[in-house]
Amino acid sequence: MRQSIVLAVGAAALTLSRLCLAGPADYVYTPIVEYGEREIDFKAGRANTDGAEPLSAASLGLGYSWKPHWFTEFYAKYESEGSGATRFDAWEWENRFQLWDTGEYPVDAGFVVELERPQNHDEGYEVRFGPLFQSDFGKVQLNGNLLFGRNYRAAASAPMQFGYQWQVKYRWAEAFEFGLQGFGDVGPWDNWDPADRQSHRFGPAVFGKLPAGVHKAIRYNAALLLKASSGAPDSTFRMQLEYEF
Amino acid sequence: MHRFLLLALLLPSLGFAADPQFELFIHNHKFEPEELHVPAGKRIKLTVINRDPTPEEFESYELHREQLVPGNARGTVYIGPLAPGRYPFFGDFHPKTTTGVVIAE
Repeated sequence: MRQSIVLAVGAAALTLSRLCLAGPADYVYTPIVEYGEREIDFKAGRANTDGAEPLSAASLGLGYSWKPHWFTEFYAKYESEGSGATRFDAWEWENRFQLWDTGEYPVDAGFVVELERPQNHDEGYEVRFGPLFQSDFGKVQLNGNLLFGRNYRAAASAPMQFGYQWQVKYRWAEAFEFGLQGFGDVGPWDNWDPADRQSHRFGPAVFGKLPAGVHKAIRYNAALLLKASSGAPDSTFRMQLEYEF
Repeated sequence: MHRFLLLALLLPSLGFAADPQFELFIHNHKFEPEELHVPAGKRIKLTVINRDPTPEEFESYELHREQLVPGNARGTVYIGPLAPGRYPFFGDFHPKTTTGVVIAE
């Protein structure tokens, strides 16, 4: 009985660690920091898998680029499963650093470090970090990120997880851009899961920025991600809405 | 993994020829000059010097750049390489008066 409880907690911890890198409300980080920008940031997502309850997540954050190359944001995160009640999930603190001036080199680079304190203290503390890259080819913008994540001081230990994000966007007009996004989670960074347990998903995405007054704007992006591996949800709809001021 | 990290560390030291440099001033909520002629096909280092006491943000969707420059301070904006053409920009704090265009030729 004790062994089965330990196994169940371990499996849950692994699952939670995987969600840490590829949750339904995740968004593609960019390495660009806009100094002086303040924002109210709302993110939401819903992942659907046949034969399972859909998983929804949302977060509300307040961010500020208080240094030319450093953006910081605090979030409150929520989740729900199926028709169950929405419950508070975690507090999160995100920091993004831009390593050099935009356009100074052919590739822009940055780094993200996130610290999360789940409501369920058995999950300990979640840390996520990794390099961020962006490059432009005419009107096409490419992003690629490598992410590592792990729970510390959790009830059950789990290895460091590895995942990735990418997007390609055509900058057609400021109010409407379109492209593709992809997210993936391969399991332990030094011992990848078998292919049928890895989570890979990608799909069409839209983006845009709408003026909302002098030095104010609303940014949006949304994507419908479809499974590209057995370990991924059948479909995930994710969106982000930011009010910049 | 080790090769990737080495490449990332070496990237800033790659030898690039010096980028053409230009200065753009902000004074009384206007850009000076309002037309900036730059060579096409080259990365440009643009120093934005804000002579106003209040902040201004150099912004251009066409150039894909937003750069806040505090009052009485300067900021650096890298643009290009640009195809020949006109690329408008503006000051986000005073968009009606602080306007300009980069002409790549």
